[in-house]
Amino acid sequence: MRRPTLRRPGWLRAWPATVLALTLAVGALVAVGLRAPAASEPGGTPSVAGAPAPALSGTTLDGGRFALAEARGQVVLVNVFASWCGPCRDELPLLVDTERSWSPRGLRVVGLNIRDGVDAVRALLDETGATGLTVVPDPDGTRAVEWGVRGVPETFVVDRDGRLVDRRQGVVTRQWLEQRIAPLLAG
Amino acid sequence: MRWRRVLVALMLVALAAAAGAGLARSAGDRGRPDPVRAVAAELRCPACQGESVADSRSPIAVAMRQVVADQLAQGRDRDEIRRWFVQRYGADVLTDPPDRGVRLLLWGVPALALLAGAYAAVRTLRPRAGRARPAAPRTPGARATRRAWRVASVGVVGLVASVAVVTYRLDPPARPAPADPVAVALQLAHDLETQDRYDAAAQMYQEALRERPDDAVRLRLAFALLRSGDSDGAQRTAREVLGREPNSPDGLLVLGLAQRTSQPVEAERSLRRFLAVAPAHPAAAEIRRLLSPDPAPNGR
Repeated sequence: MRRPTLRRPGWLRAWPATVLALTLAVGALVAVGLRAPAASEPGGTPSVAGAPAPALSGTTLDGGRFALAEARGQVVLVNVFASWCGPCRDELPLLVDTERSWSPRGLRVVGLNIRDGVDAVRALLDETGATGLTVVPDPDGTRAVEWGVRGVPETFVVDRDGRLVDRRQGVVTRQWLEQRIAPLLAG
Repeated sequence: MRWRRVLVALMLVALAAAAGAGLARSAGDRGRPDPVRAVAAELRCPACQGESVADSRSPIAVAMRQVVADQLAQGRDRDEIRRWFVQRYGADVLTDPPDRGVRLLLWGVPALALLAGAYAAVRTLRPRAGRARPAAPRTPGARATRRAWRVASVGVVGLVASVAVVTYRLDPPARPAPADPVAVALQLAHDLETQDRYDAAAQMYQEALRERPDDAVRLRLAFALLRSGDSDGAQRTAREVLGREPNSPDGLLVLGLAQRTSQPVEAERSLRRFLAVAPAHPAAAEIRRLLSPDPAPNGR
């Protein structure tokens, strides 16, 4: 009569310990899980240094032809932009200005215009004084995906040997251009 | 004793049914006949937070869906396409990167918890074989423990069942909302109109019409064409609508306004018909004003 009642408290005493251990385990797991994505974020962008740049060729906005393969010997900035992107509007004048002053040293700037209308992008180029920019339209955005574009604006740097050596997500600044592009032009 | 067994069997059946329903729900996406969606759902949208390429409306995600569709059309399989994206975007582009380290624990801990619970249940409900005497489990304490276990089991079954029922109710309205290209195109066109970019808006309306022919959209297109200065296009579009619905007020209004530059007489006829059909239209007062200073050719 007494035996079962005696035995029960014995293992009931072990029960809270089990629950506590499990709760701790789950808590630790959640804590680690919450930290994990933050830790992996900076490495989220695959390093691009040195890989051959993806192909980029086609008819430009003004009816000419552009082929990245034929631009060997030049440093090419591929700027992914769209008329529906506000920051792109802000950085275009800087890019045009940079190309104008550095083209004698071998710099070429190409705009990859994603998911946009011809009229809209012409208007944007007019407004920003960028009518001379080489623009390759990418109406469905698939070329941009081939380049691994994560958002607009985004800028890729292709060196004189056609290798992808740098990329920048977001707006480019004069300081970034001077730090990253000027050495390539000197070399 | 017999009814208890029946009760346990019923509970197990209920649990198995709930688990089956859950499995069917999570496997539902894959069983769908849309292979593009199936692949895109396993890719993370790089421009958004916590959204898959299949669900996101961001332009990059739309472009990625297009790439998936193109590659499927070229005969590539799911793994090849995933590799293609990993090469360009890194392993983070996959919504379920390969399990290792901590992620394995995520599966291990619930399994361990279940096993521990089952073990505890067996210990409580079944006295050890050596002491199994018919009278032993009949003590009041043991009976209370058994009752507690049963109540807890019924509670768990109830919880699982209610979650299954509630999620069925909650899910459907969330589904159709994301990818409706027509709605997106119309919203974009509307935004363009507010920026006075009527020719771009007209293009978006035409895109929407290709997906879904609809006279309401056709009338918006006609208005946009009219405002962008393409009165011939506006007339043509308005006549298409009027061909199906001769008394469409908006159709008559656009037609009349578009005719004003080239055919003033027909324009007045169309606009007067518009006033006759819809005297309370928001534009009616403006049209009356437009027509009144003009000495009407058919006289008064």
